[in-house]
Amino acid sequence: MELLVQLLVAGTLVGSIYALVALGWALIYKSSGVLNLAMGELTLIGAYVCLTFYNWGIPFPLAILGSLIIGGVLGLLVERLVLRPLIGEPILTVIMVTVGLSFLFKGLVGLIWGTDTQVFTPPVFPAEPIRVGPITISPVFLGGFVAALLLLVAFTWFFQRTRWGLAMQATADDQMAALSLGVSAKLVYAIAWAIAFMAAGVGGIFLGIINGLNVSVSFLGLLVLPAVVLGGLNSVPGAIVGGVLIGILQNLAGGYLDPLIPGGIKEVFPLAFMAVVLLFKPYGLWGWQKIERV
Amino acid sequence: MFRLPAGTYFQTYQQAHRFWPTRFMTLRMIGLLAVLFVAVPLVANNYVLSIANRIGYTILAAMGVQLLIGFTGQLTLGHAAFVAVGAYASAIFTLTAVENADIPFWGFLSQAGLAYPLSVVAACLLSGLWSVLFGLPSARVKGFGIILTTMAAQFITVNFIIAQYVSQIGGRGHYFSLPAGTVKIGPWALAGDRDAYFWMLILVVLVTAAMNNWKRTRPGRAWLAIRDNDIAAEVLGVNIVRYKLLAYFAAGILAGLAGSFWITSLFFVSPEHFEWSNSLWWVGVILIGGVGAVDGTIFGAIFLELMLVLVNSFSAANLDFLYFKDIAFGLAIILFLLYEPNGLAYRWWQIKNYFYLWPFSYK
Repeated sequence: MELLVQLLVAGTLVGSIYALVALGWALIYKSSGVLNLAMGELTLIGAYVCLTFYNWGIPFPLAILGSLIIGGVLGLLVERLVLRPLIGEPILTVIMVTVGLSFLFKGLVGLIWGTDTQVFTPPVFPAEPIRVGPITISPVFLGGFVAALLLLVAFTWFFQRTRWGLAMQATADDQMAALSLGVSAKLVYAIAWAIAFMAAGVGGIFLGIINGLNVSVSFLGLLVLPAVVLGGLNSVPGAIVGGVLIGILQNLAGGYLDPLIPGGIKEVFPLAFMAVVLLFKPYGLWGWQKIERV
Repeated sequence: MFRLPAGTYFQTYQQAHRFWPTRFMTLRMIGLLAVLFVAVPLVANNYVLSIANRIGYTILAAMGVQLLIGFTGQLTLGHAAFVAVGAYASAIFTLTAVENADIPFWGFLSQAGLAYPLSVVAACLLSGLWSVLFGLPSARVKGFGIILTTMAAQFITVNFIIAQYVSQIGGRGHYFSLPAGTVKIGPWALAGDRDAYFWMLILVVLVTAAMNNWKRTRPGRAWLAIRDNDIAAEVLGVNIVRYKLLAYFAAGILAGLAGSFWITSLFFVSPEHFEWSNSLWWVGVILIGGVGAVDGTIFGAIFLELMLVLVNSFSAANLDFLYFKDIAFGLAIILFLLYEPNGLAYRWWQIKNYFYLWPFSYK
């Protein structure tokens, strides 16, 4: 029982980070229909930028802010240079261009920062775990959870209260109607990419602090795909719930299945689960059922 | 379709349906085969041959992707999993035959040099079936769903089943190595780059011919119909699920061939040879070559492998090579999609037409 609660708590905390990255993914898909496979590399870039700032002696919250700004600028650039000329192209073209981006980013990150695992020194969070009754929580997970929560609240506020956020909602809901009412689709796409870069970056920072920062963080970034599939591709709340659920499932698999089937089940389980979801519930929990079926 | 040279007309359907419709084409292709089979091995040294083998392997592997994406419209990002199944099946079969040589059945196989050829057949069947298993969701979803399932296939097969379990078979440790002289086709021992080159050429020629011919058969036409408009295809009586699964099976067979060729050119297999990036690399091959064009697969493979050689010669340190390789590949895909979306095959088609229609090119 204790193990179960422990796994549930840890899963929720990690899952909130996945939820943040998944939010960025779902936003791009919902507003522009682009299926982004470069999400893992976006998390890498954000994490490395933050690490660099931190190494310069900038306090951690400011370093996060800096990586948010740089992520936003990169997002705008990528959208303008690469994605915008391909609006309306077939699905293979758009997916493969994001694959091209992911290779490009991976190469650039390797060239600039190397492949060795790097850690934030001095440690950002105390190593001493927090004890709540029988459960122990590592402060890093808690910090990630709080940061993810803050950003999720900020983004929700942005979507519901600001002019640009409302324009994005309108575009996602009905592109043609939004365009005819004077919403600029270009602006919406650009903001979506900027937000995706920011969200993925923050997710990457905390994943990097938890596991140490190297290329494998980009694999964790790929776990957003099971999350968004579970939530339904075009549902932003679904992506958040899906992210948390995938975090929990992953930890449960690590805790209970690993002794039975040893070796890396924790990494593969979300992807296997995704294949099953696609087979039985292709539109996820809250996705539009008009998703194309055979 | 190609255009005919000015002044050539067909009078019967038989003429129009020939594999190489004009005498010039036949001569050109025979000339090409002669160069590849006779001239290249005479002049080339081992380094050139090993590059040729890498190109051949890329062609073989990318043909399966071409069949799925280019012919049937089923996007796949997990082809390396099926190639890995082929490579491991072939390696395990061959090794079992060699190590159990005192048992009459296996002994006969390894003595007669049948172990490797049989293992190729087994590898093809196994990866075909494995591919069908992961193609099953294509009966229910399409587009993005299929991409994700094939991605899941990649990580489940290579990173989990093969890396954790299959690699443990026989206690050989992380990778399987095949001792020299184990891979034999009848009396012909495939012992180096030169032997592997001929075996590669045979396979590539067979696969290219098969791909070109599949387009003209009933399943091939069904695949093209599904790619162009699946609803229209179904209305016309094409059994979509059956032909999609058939496409997965055929692609799996091609992957099995590629995998069993891989062990002859390197003599060992390891899960690291079949990473997700390999799957993406092969999709890049067909994008750069031209989606749906069989000759495009070959152009794309040659382009990318030669690009690798170029990158390799520029970057001195070994680690830098990996980064430059990623950067070059990413840039190549992005630039091709932005500026040459029809691929190299389309450019080649235009060049050919220019000469065919010259001097009356009115377009």
